[in-house]
Amino acid sequence: MNVPFVGQVPSDIVVSWIASALIGLFVLWWLTKYNKWPVIWEYIRTTHHRKIGTMYILVAIIFFIRGGMDALFIRTQLAVPENDFWVFQSQKYNEVFTTHGTVMIFFVAMPLLIGLMNVAVPLQIGANDLAFPYLNAVSFWLFVAGGFIFNMAFFFNAAPNAGWTAYAPLSTDTFTTGPNNNYYIFGLQVSGLGTILTAINMIVTIFRLRAPGMKLNHMPLFPWATLLTSFLILIAFPVLTIALLLLTFDRYYGTSFFIGEMGDPVYWQHLFWIFGHPEVYILILPAFGIFSDIISTFSRKKVYGYTSMVIAIAIIGLLGFMVWAHHMFTVGLGPLANSVFAITTMLIAVPTGIKIFNWLFTMRNGVVRIRTPMLFALGFIPTFVIGGVTGVMLAVAAADYQYHDSYFVVAHFHYTMIGGTILGAFAGIYYWYPKMTGKVLDEKLGRWHFWLFLIGFHLTFMPQHFAGLNGMPRRVYTYSWEDGIFLLNFISTVGAFLMGASMLFVAWNLYKTHRLTDPVGGDPWDGRTLEWSVGSPSPEHPFEPVNQVDRLDAFWHAKVKGEEVPKAEDARPSPIAVKTLQPVILSIILVFMSIGFIYHWISLQVLGGAAVIAYLIIRSITDERKEVYEKEEEG
Amino acid sequence: MKQTSDVLFQDKKMGFFLYLIVEAIMFAVLFATYIIFTPASQGPDPSEVYKWKTVVLTSVFLLSSSGTLLIAEKGLEKGNRTKIAAGLIATFVLGAIFMVLEIHEFYKYVHEGYSITVNNFLSSFYVLVGLHASHVAFGLGWMILLMVQFKQKIPQRLFIEKHKIFNYYWHFVDAIWVLIILIVYVPYLF
Amino acid sequence: MRIFSLLSLFLLTGCNLRVLNPKSDTADKITNLIYLSFGLMMLVFVVVMILFVHFLKKYKETPERLNEIPGDGKESKRLEVTWTVLPILLLAVLAVPTVKATYDMTSQVSGDGGEAKAEDAITIDVVGRQYNWEFTYENGKKSVNELVLPVNQKADFKLTSEDVIHSFWVPKLSGKIDVLPGEETRLSFTPREAGVYQGKCAEFCGAEHTQMRFETKVVSQAEFQQWLKNGVEEEGE
Repeated sequence: MNVPFVGQVPSDIVVSWIASALIGLFVLWWLTKYNKWPVIWEYIRTTHHRKIGTMYILVAIIFFIRGGMDALFIRTQLAVPENDFWVFQSQKYNEVFTTHGTVMIFFVAMPLLIGLMNVAVPLQIGANDLAFPYLNAVSFWLFVAGGFIFNMAFFFNAAPNAGWTAYAPLSTDTFTTGPNNNYYIFGLQVSGLGTILTAINMIVTIFRLRAPGMKLNHMPLFPWATLLTSFLILIAFPVLTIALLLLTFDRYYGTSFFIGEMGDPVYWQHLFWIFGHPEVYILILPAFGIFSDIISTFSRKKVYGYTSMVIAIAIIGLLGFMVWAHHMFTVGLGPLANSVFAITTMLIAVPTGIKIFNWLFTMRNGVVRIRTPMLFALGFIPTFVIGGVTGVMLAVAAADYQYHDSYFVVAHFHYTMIGGTILGAFAGIYYWYPKMTGKVLDEKLGRWHFWLFLIGFHLTFMPQHFAGLNGMPRRVYTYSWEDGIFLLNFISTVGAFLMGASMLFVAWNLYKTHRLTDPVGGDPWDGRTLEWSVGSPSPEHPFEPVNQVDRLDAFWHAKVKGEEVPKAEDARPSPIAVKTLQPVILSIILVFMSIGFIYHWISLQVLGGAAVIAYLIIRSITDERKEVYEKEEEG
Repeated sequence: MKQTSDVLFQDKKMGFFLYLIVEAIMFAVLFATYIIFTPASQGPDPSEVYKWKTVVLTSVFLLSSSGTLLIAEKGLEKGNRTKIAAGLIATFVLGAIFMVLEIHEFYKYVHEGYSITVNNFLSSFYVLVGLHASHVAFGLGWMILLMVQFKQKIPQRLFIEKHKIFNYYWHFVDAIWVLIILIVYVPYLF
Repeated sequence: MRIFSLLSLFLLTGCNLRVLNPKSDTADKITNLIYLSFGLMMLVFVVVMILFVHFLKKYKETPERLNEIPGDGKESKRLEVTWTVLPILLLAVLAVPTVKATYDMTSQVSGDGGEAKAEDAITIDVVGRQYNWEFTYENGKKSVNELVLPVNQKADFKLTSEDVIHSFWVPKLSGKIDVLPGEETRLSFTPREAGVYQGKCAEFCGAEHTQMRFETKVVSQAEFQQWLKNGVEEEGE
């Protein structure tokens, strides 16, 4: 196996190389002209949660553009029957939907949410930073490295092509030769490690760094969602790690866990979905948390049923581990297994319903102010309910024999993932934008973005339910006139381009906001939680001294009384911030090491391994605690 | 103000325990894999592959290394540098012997024709026990670094912190070995 | 507005959606379940929408209420219990027929190997491979990408794959069953109307997954017997 040279390189790749080179040159020129290099230098060495969170979101948006372009290619190819758009048929089409799915889940949805957690959670609980700032930088750079590895595949004409679920035996080297799915494995391994480390960081932060007096049930719901999500990550991601490890052995070292007479392809499905189903709750729970905070703020009321909201998140998380086989109803696990998993799946509707009603009743008797973040939260409710009810329909195991792997399922999970996670991420970005940059995004353009996106979204995905019911399987690159799904698909394509167009308003909004508007104060939304008590953008170590908190929405109640949040007397020491290049260097090492694995270059693998060990040693020796402890011992 | 080093150590301890949960789940999945694929429908049976002498020998060395590490921990508490050094060195030697025996075991198996690709029992055996062995190897490297730092002049509290974190790791790796004995070897040996 | 667009879509496509227009006993059952679950779920959706629109209208910020600070109020236990218990009841209504249908259908689908097959059922061996379907009948007749079935007679399928996982799907006649390498899955149904129906592979199986289609012809008993004989004679020649 070798990196292909020019010759039979498909034209989309050539175009991408040229486009990337031009954009790269432009960025370099821009950075130099406006003297932005010091900013870059500052950010790549930072361990500050707000800066890292901002970078998470920025990088996620870059991947979002990539995944979004994939989506538009998919929709263009499917716009009319028997279409031959550019190169996107057969294997090329398979590559596009594989990267679309993987990129959107792992390199867009996850980092957008983790980015928002980074920005908001420490501030919301009155902490000066995450518990392990250095580790946080490592997590971020591992995510970047993973995303880089995964996206690199396309540029070397080797994009993964076994679907984001990488079902065996298709994903083994017998049926998908070439480096394509090696990229998938190593991209996910590297970024997955980063995600696990983030989860640990969040849990410790929330357990140990809350402001004095703040009990767990004084926390806003976003930190709650973050805490429970982190536990889901902690349990689910290691399963993926091992599943990928076993797949690696099948692809590299001749074992046959998932293939052949001894192997069991269904075992891959079990492992993948034991990870994969909690994963979708990992993606949705933080969005729930964001919506809770936003709906409460913009209704000027405490969130309705706080306790039941927390319990509902916990139950959803718990049930999330007991429903994985509903992705496998048609495998033939037998009626008992199918019935049990059908019922547990249906049960998830109960806590989710509780949350929906609590949100609605938060608005009741409130003063509902409709600003862009709230608009996204309001758009979320009906959209997500549609996704939820189709979820219950899918849980009906026998009926799923019809829906399974059809466009009905495609419609369903886009309703939950876009209607929940992406709307949540947008809402959160609009909401906390002042905390990241010190400015509020333009309201009018925000509304344009919202309405175009929402209408485009429903146009895209509502018809897909019917395409599925009319017999359109997912992951097909074309269909015939007789299939009777032309109109449905055409509407879908129009909707997709509308969603694409709505993103142009985001770009315009960013430009306008930064060129034309003035900075705002610490509390532009009349907020309720602690992050609004500090300046915008949030300074490093903003709580010095830290607050004393004794109730939910402490900032709001102090504000109503015309007071400040009281300061704590005996606070714990804050985490240590450093400036370091080590995390970036680690991520570069891992990129090279992964390339060594992807192309079976053993010397590079060994070199990479040695470099990782060297990194660990240097890290231990240059531990930032050394100085602090030395001072302590002297004093 | 609470003592910085103490609070930060508690943070780190909690974080590391969470990390060990992650590791435990990874091993749990590999144990499940082993149980599912063993014995395999074809190829060698575990009972013809394993030798009880090797298992007992490796276990004696690895498990006693947890004991010698306790000596170092005692020394850590009392500030007795000799005990720390003795405990660490003993642990390292025992761990290293385990490593040699383990490599020898793998080598012998492969020589007898029981390589990783022969059947799924052997595949899952090598991945599981191999991952454990790599943890031991990593721990050995870690101990060397720890001993270097012991010699160096670093703040005492920092050394104690690093030592304690290592201790958790080593005991965890030992606990996994106990599970390997119980789940991997015992059902097919006795 | 959204409901309107939903309805208009229905009108556009009519009731010609294959899944909702079943032509076999099994597919009938599934379609009934789909309608039942859809009805129940629309109930939920409508309730949520009514509350949503109502609250939004009533509590929207107005110039007079700009500076009003509403009290937090207390949660009503009654309400919270209501929206916990009612959904459970609703789901129970759905769960009972779900389990029943799942047992009815799955015992046929995956077949525990028990030969409880109806006397007059025909058995067809199905082999899925990249990228075609091969059907073998009891008399040895083979056909590729063309499945011929007699009307009103039960058809039992035994399915297996030669390479990766596929999934056998005739939307008008039955739900899917995965076709796995090294394993045999089962499916059965009784078509009740003659006609030509589309069949597809529903599990992504590689480069030409899209083209892995077959045609299902449901014909009269006489035509079926004729067809069955033809094939074998041809092979014999």
